[in-house]
Amino acid sequence: MDFSQVVFTPEQLALESEIRSIIEANWTPNYSHIAVDHDRMPVEVRMEFAKRGLLHPDLPKDQGGAGLGELELEMIAGIADEYWMPTNVSNSMLIPTLEKHGSDWLKENVLPGIRRGEITTCLGYSEPDNGSDVAAATTKAVQDGDTWVINGQKMWTTWGNESDYVFLLARTGPVEEKHRTLTMFLVPMDVPGVEATPVWILGGGRTNVTFYTDVTISDQYRVGPINEGWSVMSEPLATEHGAGVETQGVAPVNGTMGQTFSRVFEKFVDASIKWAASRKTPDGKSRLEDPITRLAIAEAMLDLEMCWNAEGELGKPMSAEALSRNADRMADIAAPEGLLDFGVDGSIYAGNISSERQHAPGTSVYGGTTEIYRNNLARRLGLPRPY
Amino acid sequence: MSLTLRRNDYSLTDEQGQLVDMLRDLFTEQSPIGLVRAAEPLGFDETLWNTVKENGLITISVPENAGGDGGGLVELVLAGIEIGRTAAPVPLLDQVVALRAFAALSAAGADLAGFDLDAALAGDVIVSVAPISTWELGAQLIPSGAVAKAVLAFKDDSIILMTRQTPAPQAQNEGCAPVAWWSPADADVTTTTVLAGGQAQAIWELVQREWRIAAASSLVGLLAISSEMAREYALDRKAFGVTIAKFQAISHQLADIHMDVVTARNMTLKAAWLTENEPKYRPELASMAMAHATRAALRSTTKAAHVYGGMGITLEADISLFYRKVTSWSLVGGGMRRDLEDIARAIDTRAAELQLQSSNR
Ligand SMILES: Cc1cc2nc3c(=O)[nH]c(=O)nc-3n(C[C@H](O)[C@H](O)[C@H](O)COP(=O)(O)OP(=O)(O)OC[C@H]3O[C@@H](n4cnc5c(N)ncnc54)[C@H](O)[C@@H]3O)c2cc1C
Repeated sequence: MDFSQVVFTPEQLALESEIRSIIEANWTPNYSHIAVDHDRMPVEVRMEFAKRGLLHPDLPKDQGGAGLGELELEMIAGIADEYWMPTNVSNSMLIPTLEKHGSDWLKENVLPGIRRGEITTCLGYSEPDNGSDVAAATTKAVQDGDTWVINGQKMWTTWGNESDYVFLLARTGPVEEKHRTLTMFLVPMDVPGVEATPVWILGGGRTNVTFYTDVTISDQYRVGPINEGWSVMSEPLATEHGAGVETQGVAPVNGTMGQTFSRVFEKFVDASIKWAASRKTPDGKSRLEDPITRLAIAEAMLDLEMCWNAEGELGKPMSAEALSRNADRMADIAAPEGLLDFGVDGSIYAGNISSERQHAPGTSVYGGTTEIYRNNLARRLGLPRPY
Repeated sequence: MSLTLRRNDYSLTDEQGQLVDMLRDLFTEQSPIGLVRAAEPLGFDETLWNTVKENGLITISVPENAGGDGGGLVELVLAGIEIGRTAAPVPLLDQVVALRAFAALSAAGADLAGFDLDAALAGDVIVSVAPISTWELGAQLIPSGAVAKAVLAFKDDSIILMTRQTPAPQAQNEGCAPVAWWSPADADVTTTTVLAGGQAQAIWELVQREWRIAAASSLVGLLAISSEMAREYALDRKAFGVTIAKFQAISHQLADIHMDVVTARNMTLKAAWLTENEPKYRPELASMAMAHATRAALRSTTKAAHVYGGMGITLEADISLFYRKVTSWSLVGGGMRRDLEDIARAIDTRAAELQLQSSNR
């Protein structure tokens, strides 16, 4: 057991100032935008990071990384967070998948660009008629000699309007066979027949519907064996879910998404404190002294500490639900200003609060709903499948 | 600004792992549920207490220079979890917290007024603390107060020692815990001031935190066993031709209970380690661990009992015993109201920090 403060080596301190100067030169924080988990890393930062192997810092140097450990990864995440800078990069979880399952052609022509941050990707799993039940995908890929013809529609293809490739889950046999007739492709998005139209979500974020009409691609874009798409896809999905992450005792234990949401929650608690400090009660005291406000913020702080302690797969659902619960609560506590958008007269930090109330419900959905997480957890507890 | 990072390592050493195994075996064997029931209503079993003594557990987390084994708060938490799992009717946690307080008092040169500390270290005299004495003046409910002959408390800027020839009468309670009212004004109570001033305040601040961590650990154990029992029942019990564990309304409750167990355990271990090693860092952590363990234990033992249907509310069912025991460890320390007041002090700390940061945020 160890919760002590890390003493940085000179190399780590040098890394810290290097990262700071890259960010300061290339990024202007927007403090009205409390949740950046749906945004991409600014392209200028991405390019500077890539030059130094910091885009995929944990990869060995000869694979385009910087050969850094968990501690340095945490440093990068912590500094980025300080500047409210999004860190989503062209799905770095895809790199190991492509290494393992990609065709030689993909490995030669696409993988290096992904490593260098020049090529971006998005995920095409969900469809209009199936999200949680992702193995019910109906988007079809039909083999025609050395090519495939793809037809169908994907839903929630986040960054589908600005990516070079989509990692696509396609049906390559009878749909009744569910997991056994799925195949993965890395489809270039600039070929004829691919189209993305926007879907706007609460809080102002964008995701997309993507349409695939007679999209014809070479077999070289296939990732992994035909009809083994389920296991090929499950690997990065498991990374996203926080399973199998081996900790060396530095990273928070609450998984990738749990950590992301907890950082948002942390800013949210700060915003609540700033709001209270800037307001007075009718008798002229600071709102910080008002017992009801104190209670609400103290409970939010308690929930936040709980989220940091929610291990592995628990991190996501607990953080998502705590965010929503506290965002509802604080918006109400900060009433009437709690309803005002950022920048509106009287809103200042309440702008953060209302924008978080807009953002929070999504955290219980994307990357797998809280119900699906509970199903998975129940399975791990040895309980039978419900259906 | 410069970045600070902390480790997040919850792992136990091999030694700590062995300690858990030893404690698990000991309490499972020596504190079966029948013994727990037989020890009610007082909530104390002399034979089990003797076993605890013989196994050297009294000094488990007492510093070596104060006659102990040199274990720390983490070891106390590990013991607390096993006590909670078996609802063991022994006042070990209060005893150890009090002994740690005595050790700190001795180190500070306090005048123990002839108190027989060796007898307490041997477990022959049961000692306890008054966890809410800075808050509740006068008579107060004392954990293990119905079996203790000496109680440390805080009054008017001083740590006081209250002693009695015979323990105070138990105040009847749903968890059948040996709690009792003690008052310095009581004619049967002899009160001496053992340490005054700033040093006393600093020691007492830590005593309160350590008591909360110990109490939280027993709630963690109680939660863990309730969770396991409800899970087993759900796998066994059938309704509409299937095991009830197949219903999501049940399995999702079990998932929620599990989340409470894991988070309460981790928060308590983290608070224990940091309180021991860096008491100045985030002083609210002990109250956070206690507050979360309290709300988790209250809501999750309710859910666990509910998984049993009607059986869950019968006195005969073991799950209802754990449901009752929750209050023994959670409410006697003042409950969440007290903890949240502590946590709220962290708002002021954070507000001051934020003021120092750039004003344009
Ligand atoms: C902002 C955003 C971004 C996203 N980005 C991407 C992306 O980039 N790529 C991608 O492929 N997908 C993406 N998704 C899709 C996301 O993964 C799905 O929305 C999610 O898996 C839920 O699927 P669904 O929306 O179809 O809801 P449904 O699966 O239809 O679920 C509806 C409701 O039923 C519940 N439910 C469903 N099945 C069960 C069950 N077995 N047990 C209990 N309850 C159940 C759900 O929990 C939910 O409450 C994104 C979604 C959002 C909102």
